[in-house]
Amino acid sequence: MRRLRRLGRLAWEVLRELADERPYQRGLKAQGRRHSAEEWRRFTERRYEARFKQPKCC
Amino acid sequence: MAMAAAFCLGGLALRHGERVNGVWLIVAAACAFSTGYRFYGKFVAARVLTLDDGRATPAERLRNGQDFEPTNKWILFGHHFAAIAGPGPLVGPVLAAQFGYLPGALWIIIGAVLGGAVQDFIILFASMRRDGKSLGQMVREEIGKAAGFTALITVLIIMVIMLAVMALVVVNALKGSPWGAFTIAATMPIAVFMGLYLRYWRPGKVLECSAIGFGMLLAAIFGGRAVADSAVLAPWFTLSALALAAALIVYGFLASALPVWLLLAPRGYLSTFVKLGVILMLAAGILFVRPQLQLAAFTRFVDGSGPIFAGRIFPFCFITIACGAVSGFHSLIASGTTPKMIAHEGHALPIGYGAMLAESFVAIMALIAACTLQPGVYFAVNSPAGVVGAAPAAAAATISSWGFPVTEAQMAELARDAGERTLFARTGGAPSLALGMARIFAGGFGSAGRALIGFWYHFAIMFEALFILTLIDTGTRVGRFMLQDFLGHMWRPLGRTSWMPGVVAASAAIVAAWGYLLIQGVRDPLGGINSLWPLFGIANQLLAAIALCLATTILLKTHGARYLWISAVPLAWLVTVTFTAALQKIFSPSPALGFLAQASQLEASLRAGAAGEKAATARTLLFNARLDAAVCGVLLLLVTVILADSLRVWIEILRGAEEPRLSETPFVPTQLGTEGL
Repeated sequence: MRRLRRLGRLAWEVLRELADERPYQRGLKAQGRRHSAEEWRRFTERRYEARFKQPKCC
Repeated sequence: MAMAAAFCLGGLALRHGERVNGVWLIVAAACAFSTGYRFYGKFVAARVLTLDDGRATPAERLRNGQDFEPTNKWILFGHHFAAIAGPGPLVGPVLAAQFGYLPGALWIIIGAVLGGAVQDFIILFASMRRDGKSLGQMVREEIGKAAGFTALITVLIIMVIMLAVMALVVVNALKGSPWGAFTIAATMPIAVFMGLYLRYWRPGKVLECSAIGFGMLLAAIFGGRAVADSAVLAPWFTLSALALAAALIVYGFLASALPVWLLLAPRGYLSTFVKLGVILMLAAGILFVRPQLQLAAFTRFVDGSGPIFAGRIFPFCFITIACGAVSGFHSLIASGTTPKMIAHEGHALPIGYGAMLAESFVAIMALIAACTLQPGVYFAVNSPAGVVGAAPAAAAATISSWGFPVTEAQMAELARDAGERTLFARTGGAPSLALGMARIFAGGFGSAGRALIGFWYHFAIMFEALFILTLIDTGTRVGRFMLQDFLGHMWRPLGRTSWMPGVVAASAAIVAAWGYLLIQGVRDPLGGINSLWPLFGIANQLLAAIALCLATTILLKTHGARYLWISAVPLAWLVTVTFTAALQKIFSPSPALGFLAQASQLEASLRAGAAGEKAATARTLLFNARLDAAVCGVLLLLVTVILADSLRVWIEILRGAEEPRLSETPFVPTQLGTEGL
């Protein structure tokens, strides 16, 4: 049961990573800031700028 | 494990004339991949690359909380897998099934273990040891400036071909299908809604927003049936191939120029989650339903006379399945975000090598889904009207005469179940994969399943089209950046990505390039896939050859000739396969295969007095055949330049004329623990 819970938690964290929620929280923590609409915008602008300059795999 | 793999593969290879269950393929692949990972992958990690967990990775040294961040290996595995898993491993195996299930299955298993996974792993390792540098930068530093520059141009050309062929797959899946067209059209406002939701209403709540978006997608699929049944709405969404191609071209241009947060990013999130969900569902469906493979191990088309694409099993099976076995595009991902997030060097093995094996497993599942269709149905869906005849009766008669019985009534019933008007000549691989998947998913619902085939078919079409469109919009944008970067060297303002005239001009140029190839594919009487998919396969494998040139150079500089074979053998194979395929595509005397022979045939028909619309079509096709031959030739030339430059470096190293100099960053001991990583 504990293993299943761990697997579920891992799957949830993968989803949060893919959803950029984890990187966003990491960034806030690293810079000692709090969440706000402005912070999210700043984060996504930088993130998307880098992401959409890289080719996607076929 | 090894014995189980050998037993299952032996069973598959030797049981001819008998129906084989798809689980045999699953067990064979799972056991072969596990054995390959445990022995070959670990051998490359320990002896060849000598991964060192005591060495600080760029994620630790350059940690900034965003791009560079030590990440749990399984989370990064999921991230990397989601990035490399595209539509290629789904569509390629479906098309290659025209040779039977065995050639494709063997190539996916052997190619991935010895080639594809090795390429991904070495490039990921190389980038990780160089602060996350890109493939182009590494080629320039390790091989030379000429090779680096050539690699950049090659990538741009390959991207244009990829975008065209993927767009063609979507067009062929949606033409004349109001249900499918409505569902895909609905994804645009859904994505825009998600973009606004994330930007203004609930910033940062991506998972919540994606769940709402997914709910809306399901509603769109249900709504699509009502649209298809409506006498008023159905004509609006019943689009010809040409109209769909035009819509995709406009979409590509807009997506390239619009703000990313509005359309591309929300669509990307949705596409990633749907993709992972469907892959898991397909795996569960195959294990639960355990479908029988209806296609034989080998078909009569191994001789090169196949209706889906022309060419013999060698070399065309090996370029048709690119992404499922060896994919050059993975080297771009392996030298992108992933190397900047690896916490310990040892994690490169499961992420680089393991994720590729997982993708190959997806390719095996796609192959199973296609092979569960009755052979007659499979060929009826995938054969172009130009080969089998435009009238259903003629097509059914032609396909039955090949030894794959199918009737008009059978196809009509299947189309009715799927909610389509016809399933004849739905080339491109996506519709037959969707049909196979729909039958597997519906099979899980017992006798009630048949009523659900229409829903599952359009769910699968939506899934395929959604992430192909994500590829198209992102690819167009990336192509625009690459072109602007290139043009900026000639005239500085063109290189500025915020200068609107430059943005519009570069977007238009990229869209025009792939749009032209797309229209060419749509107008092709042989369905377009016959000429464009092999071109795409050749291009993708040539990119893999560039990555393996880099890998070979790095191994030579590190160990001399001792472990050269690790990358040199797959490189030699790929060069042989791609050059043979490319030369056959250009010079084969058969008009079905060779571009120049096709051009000569068209020229002869024009000389014989073709007139009016027929002459205009022949002139367009003539130009296209010559263009395809030229593109193929240019790609060969570019890769020859890189190969020659690499050979020069290898010979200098082997002769001892040049001191091998690696551009790795110096060793720094790690301070990072293993907790949570």
